[in-house]
Amino acid sequence: MNIIETKNLTKAYGDFTAVSSLNLHIRKGSVYGFLGPNGAGKSTTMKMFLGLTRPTDGAFHINKKRFPQNRVEILKEIGSFIEAPAFYGNLTGAENLELIRKILGLQEDSVDDALELTGLQEFKNRLAKRYSLGMKQRLGLAGALIGRPPILFLDEPTNGLDPVGIHEIRTLIKSLPKKYECTVLVSSHLLPEIELMADDIGILNHGHLLFEGSLDDLKFHAHDMGMPDDNLEETFLAMIDADNQKRRDRR
Amino acid sequence: MRFGMELKKLRRTGYFPAFPAGAAAASAFPILNMAVRTEVYTGLPGNPLDILLDASWQMMAMLNILLIVCCTCMMYHTEYAENGIQKMEVLPVRQISLFLRKFLITTAMAALVIMIEFAALAFCILMWFPDAGIDLKEFLCHWSFEVILLLPTIMVSLIIASACRNMWISLGIGVILVFTFSVLPKDYLFLDLCPYCSPYQLLTAAEENGHAALFLGVCIGETALAGMAEHIYLKIRRYFS
Ligand SMILES: Nc1ncnc2c1ncn2[C@@H]1O[C@H](COP(=O)(O)OP(=O)(O)OP(=O)(O)O)[C@@H](O)[C@H]1O
Ligand SMILES: [Mg+2]
Repeated sequence: MNIIETKNLTKAYGDFTAVSSLNLHIRKGSVYGFLGPNGAGKSTTMKMFLGLTRPTDGAFHINKKRFPQNRVEILKEIGSFIEAPAFYGNLTGAENLELIRKILGLQEDSVDDALELTGLQEFKNRLAKRYSLGMKQRLGLAGALIGRPPILFLDEPTNGLDPVGIHEIRTLIKSLPKKYECTVLVSSHLLPEIELMADDIGILNHGHLLFEGSLDDLKFHAHDMGMPDDNLEETFLAMIDADNQKRRDRR
Repeated sequence: MRFGMELKKLRRTGYFPAFPAGAAAASAFPILNMAVRTEVYTGLPGNPLDILLDASWQMMAMLNILLIVCCTCMMYHTEYAENGIQKMEVLPVRQISLFLRKFLITTAMAALVIMIEFAALAFCILMWFPDAGIDLKEFLCHWSFEVILLLPTIMVSLIIASACRNMWISLGIGVILVFTFSVLPKDYLFLDLCPYCSPYQLLTAAEENGHAALFLGVCIGETALAGMAEHIYLKIRRYFS
């Protein structure tokens, strides 16, 4: 069953179309890897899912709910991390999470749970503005994971993390669907990472969806098209390159 | 509404110390003025509170407005500095309710500031007009009048602060507004009713002209209207971001 579906979802900024007629299908309890070069429209799509920006056209539903009518109900179920960690620098890590916990009405131990999950326990009483890059990233992730929401949007979650951190986050993301049927939409430029954790992937280029399906589907598809199919990275590069070539020819 | 959360966000920002500091600066003005030019004022006929307000309120009101501009900028600077506001926007809270909590907190702090300033005026009366005595009811009337006349300024300053990611822009706009309105001619009623202008008005003068109720009504109306405008702005902003 699809927990998130979009229908011709479009976002235009003036005469520039950042996301164009997107039809995504995200299965409940799956890890969906969202791929695309810089500026492809990944973050814009996630921002529309969160109501941070309104679609120009098209529609989507999340768990059968829609914006703006069900805004509060939708946001209760989503943990999100978009582009860069968002927090209050004048508060400590623990105070930041406490703020989120209060708003979500979660149990008191959920702050410690989130700190534990992201390895921040040791630094919880340090001001967030004094955190290192990776610690800020972890705080952002903790803010998404707190309360273990049924839906997670993670936009480049491993940015700036050390190799151990990347491994931990990957293992965590991979384990979530099995643990409590969590659905994860994750975008990343680290394709080997995505290959290890995603069930389905969607590939975006210039706001257009080039491919959607499981990793095996992608292999078949690449094979059919005569593209390399040994690993995700090569297939991805070939697919984007072919699409860019087509665009150039059309012009 | 829960305020604890909005109050907590302001920890370690300098927001709370700023108000007593501003109140101290504004309160020092009438005291110094009286100390330096005692004879000029003690010789004047009339109610001592009116004499003191006539002598000092213009300056005190301007300091209050500047304080409001700075503190509202600070408030939204903590939201925008590390993008905490984006986290708020993806949590199940209404953006307008966060804004209104900020408004009420600032109003409470401003009311406190004005109270401290009136305490300083009371001190001046006890010190330099020993025969006059203090009429508490009169003080309360003046205090509440000035608090209400400050409401539109607080609201508009907060709206400007909420609209600008960069604190220096909102601060700049605020300071320009303060000085523009402070040099405008004083003989047009509609100018006196504007935000950034109304806080200079005094209850006694307003009552003499029969404008007291008008001032109160218009200021409350302006505040409500501006609040509604912010509500709409918060909604349509999502279409452009
Ligand atoms: N507010 C805005 N106004 C105008 N254009 C915008 C705005 N926000 C995003 N864009 C444009 O929309 C396009 C898609 O941006 P988006 O951030 O979604 O890309 P992305 O796929 O997340 O890229 P990256 O991998 O670099 O994060 C970009 O070309 C960007 O310049
Ligand atoms: Mg992005």
